[in-house]
Amino acid sequence: MDIPLLMPQLGNETTEAELTEWLKAVGDAVTEGEQILVVTTTKLSMEIEAPASGTIKEIVVPEGDLAEIGATLAIISTE
Amino acid sequence: MPKEIIVDPDLMRQKATLAFAEIPVNAYATPFAEERARRGDAALREILRHMLIIRAFESMLASFKATGSYAGISFNYKGPAHLSIGQEGAAVGAALALKPEDHIFGSHRSHGEFIAKGLSTIAQLDEPALNAIMAEHQDGGLLRSVQQHIGGEGKALAENFLLFGLLAEIFMRANGFNGGMGGSMHAFFPPFGAFPNNAIVGGSAGIATGAALRKKLSGSGGITVANSGDGSTGCGPVWEAMNFAAMAQLDTLWGDKKGGLPVLFFFNNNFYAMGGQTIGETMGWDRLSRIGAAINPASMHAETVNGTNPLAVADAVARKRALLLEGKGPALLDVECYRISGHSTTDTNVYRSREEMQLWEAHDPIVLFERALLDEGVLTEDSLAAMRDTVAAQIKAITSAAVDPAAAPIVDVRADPTLIGRLMFSNAEIPVPETPAPLLAAPETSARIRQNAKKARFGLSESGEKLSAMRAITLRDGLFESVLHHMVNDPSLIAYGEECREWGGAFGVYRGLSDILPYDRLFNSPISEAAIVATAVGHALEGGRSLVELMYGDFIGRAGDEIFNQMAKWQSMSAGALKVPVVLRCSIGSKYGAQHSQDWSALVAHIPGLKVLYPATPYDAKGLLASALSSEDPVVFFESQRLYDVVEQFRTEGVPTDYYRIPMGEPDIKRVGSDVTILTIGPSLYSAIAAAEQLETHHGLSAEIIDARSLVPFNYDTVLESVKKTGRILLVSEASERGSFAMTLSANIARFAFGDLKAAPRVLGSPNWIVPGAEMETTYFPQVEDILDVVTGEFFPEKRSNRRGVRDWNDLDLARRAL
Ligand SMILES: Cc1ncc(C[n+]2csc(CCOP(=O)(O)OP(=O)(O)O)c2C)c(N)n1
Repeated sequence: MDIPLLMPQLGNETTEAELTEWLKAVGDAVTEGEQILVVTTTKLSMEIEAPASGTIKEIVVPEGDLAEIGATLAIISTE
Repeated sequence: MPKEIIVDPDLMRQKATLAFAEIPVNAYATPFAEERARRGDAALREILRHMLIIRAFESMLASFKATGSYAGISFNYKGPAHLSIGQEGAAVGAALALKPEDHIFGSHRSHGEFIAKGLSTIAQLDEPALNAIMAEHQDGGLLRSVQQHIGGEGKALAENFLLFGLLAEIFMRANGFNGGMGGSMHAFFPPFGAFPNNAIVGGSAGIATGAALRKKLSGSGGITVANSGDGSTGCGPVWEAMNFAAMAQLDTLWGDKKGGLPVLFFFNNNFYAMGGQTIGETMGWDRLSRIGAAINPASMHAETVNGTNPLAVADAVARKRALLLEGKGPALLDVECYRISGHSTTDTNVYRSREEMQLWEAHDPIVLFERALLDEGVLTEDSLAAMRDTVAAQIKAITSAAVDPAAAPIVDVRADPTLIGRLMFSNAEIPVPETPAPLLAAPETSARIRQNAKKARFGLSESGEKLSAMRAITLRDGLFESVLHHMVNDPSLIAYGEECREWGGAFGVYRGLSDILPYDRLFNSPISEAAIVATAVGHALEGGRSLVELMYGDFIGRAGDEIFNQMAKWQSMSAGALKVPVVLRCSIGSKYGAQHSQDWSALVAHIPGLKVLYPATPYDAKGLLASALSSEDPVVFFESQRLYDVVEQFRTEGVPTDYYRIPMGEPDIKRVGSDVTILTIGPSLYSAIAAAEQLETHHGLSAEIIDARSLVPFNYDTVLESVKKTGRILLVSEASERGSFAMTLSANIARFAFGDLKAAPRVLGSPNWIVPGAEMETTYFPQVEDILDVVTGEFFPEKRSNRRGVRDWNDLDLARRAL
């Protein structure tokens, strides 16, 4: 099954955030709860956890780009 | 929250009992013969002479206060005299162990410490060094008075300079050490190592701690001493200072700058505050030194020492000094001595018994030391009598000169009415800093800086759409850029406050700086607002520059004395000899209700000695913070939490990437208009701009919007020019109206623009009740509708439509009801 990694809500007024650093690459295995991405808002940086265990199938938004809250950032395949 | 320090649950859950480092009481046991062999007879006689000088000096003040005369000299001394008669052993003993590079900070009762430290420095410096100090002070003015009216050669001249400079200061004369601006409780002379004495009980604790931090970081050597009384152990700021000085990070995280602060908390424990008795009545401790155990595992190396014996005190101070220089500070000494004289000269001793006072007569440090020297043959009765005569003659000569206006001219404010005013600020700025400081990583490697580099410098798109805070430089980024420039180019500047490091401050202004700056330049302080500000002041007085932050302006109350009496005053109370380059950043909150959303800018603007800024745009924030960080004067810098994410909407060229400064005190026209002037403070700028657009489209009225930017200083010219054109002015700020700064501006504008005004100036602020939480905030802070109501309802009644805002009340009626 493909599980999307979404940009989480990062505070009341934040509408978008920067993808500062991908800690995993396509093909890497990840376990649920593992930190896989650093995002940065105007105020703070935070680490985003994998929503499920599996492998990274696709990175949708590359490092350095901005993405809106709710946008799909990557796809994790659980097979 | 450094990630390298793990909170290990297994460790925390282990059963244990805590042990405390032992605290010796009266441990001194060196035989007199040993002291004599080590120090020599001449040095022992000097100890006695120094105690006699202090006693004679203070007895002279006591005599003036009690009888209006001394040794045939009549004089009405009006000021305070908190004498330390009976405590001379502590002062002289401590000074004996201190070096000229050690700096003491005192209390209201510090004449003795000041004299002792001065005499000790004079004894240790050679004559050329002393002459250079004396020739430099007041361009040699004080020295000339001493030479002409008292005389003396070599070290005797320097002693006369010390005593006369102090007495002239106590009498508040123009050539007193502090130009007459300090007086008895605040006399000091940094070149001899005597830094400000403080009339606020315990006030020196935080300042000496900050000075110790500067000493440690600059490597200038020596220690600092916070002198205060036993009563000051009841003061929160003293505890804050001791904890700050003992922060574990100084050992765990400060890398090559590792080591505790070289500060000695020296408590002159005379067993009483004014009348409150510390042991047995007002304190929980039985011996003062016990409090050291509360601070750190070393119990601050605390000891109780017999303060009636200068040799015991010197021994203890020398041992603590050595520990401090090894990086094992802070240290604490409880120096027990008895105040023979009253708290002040109006003290009638109603709080202590005659028996107790008689018991202590036998413990007079001078009586004891004289007897020891006589018994051991260090001194004969004749030589003692001669010494006493010489001291008496010296004090008499100094006093005769100090009461004589020809030798000690009065401060003639009548002849020069703004004389004191001109001492409030130096109005000086340092050049653009360009001394590269050691960094952990190059700034270019910081994600924050790379992120900012991608952002637009102007916040509106070509079609006039506002860009998001992720796509254009915000006010937060503007602040960051100025801080970054100063921090990487000025090693004397340090920044700290609560959660300033990894978190970047509660609102992320410093986010990214912790990757670049080592701990000794940027650190998380304890939740100690008083210590944050006091240490910043001490760091600055000792030659550093400080950038500190209070998470919310609402916490100003926690640092009230430190902001209002310390940060604001040492420039003027030193007659300009000291500078206080401190920037205090305070955010003004929103959404968190009554204790987290108040605009208290008027409180600090009310206090003479502080510059107060409140920018509202990224361009202004960056330029004004650069000016604040360059200022030699203390600056309180307000930032609205609601504006951290605003992008630049006024300056089409955008926020310059390069460093620039905006002069303090110049209000800025943000929108040109002709019918009404709206002067705003802080975020009200944006409501006013929105209101101006509606006034234009719906009412055909043209509003000129001026952003105050700076409260102190404030150049009225721009506003008065505007009012000349419009004849009407509305002042909008988010502070509750009563006593607000907008009210001050309004009163002055009414006065200075009276002839041009078509209507009385109108202040629109927040009501005089608590700030409600987020849901009700728009009923509290002035909104666009409120501005429209005032402009159309009061200035242009013919344009009036139905009330749109919530302010449906009668201000006169509210005032009657305390609102
Ligand atoms: C913050 C503050 N509170 C109160 C006072 C008034 N006051 C001046 S001296 C004093 C007693 C201080 O006692 P202690 O610290 O033991 O010093 P001592 O006077 O005994 O030298 C008091 C209450 C003050 N100056 N500052």
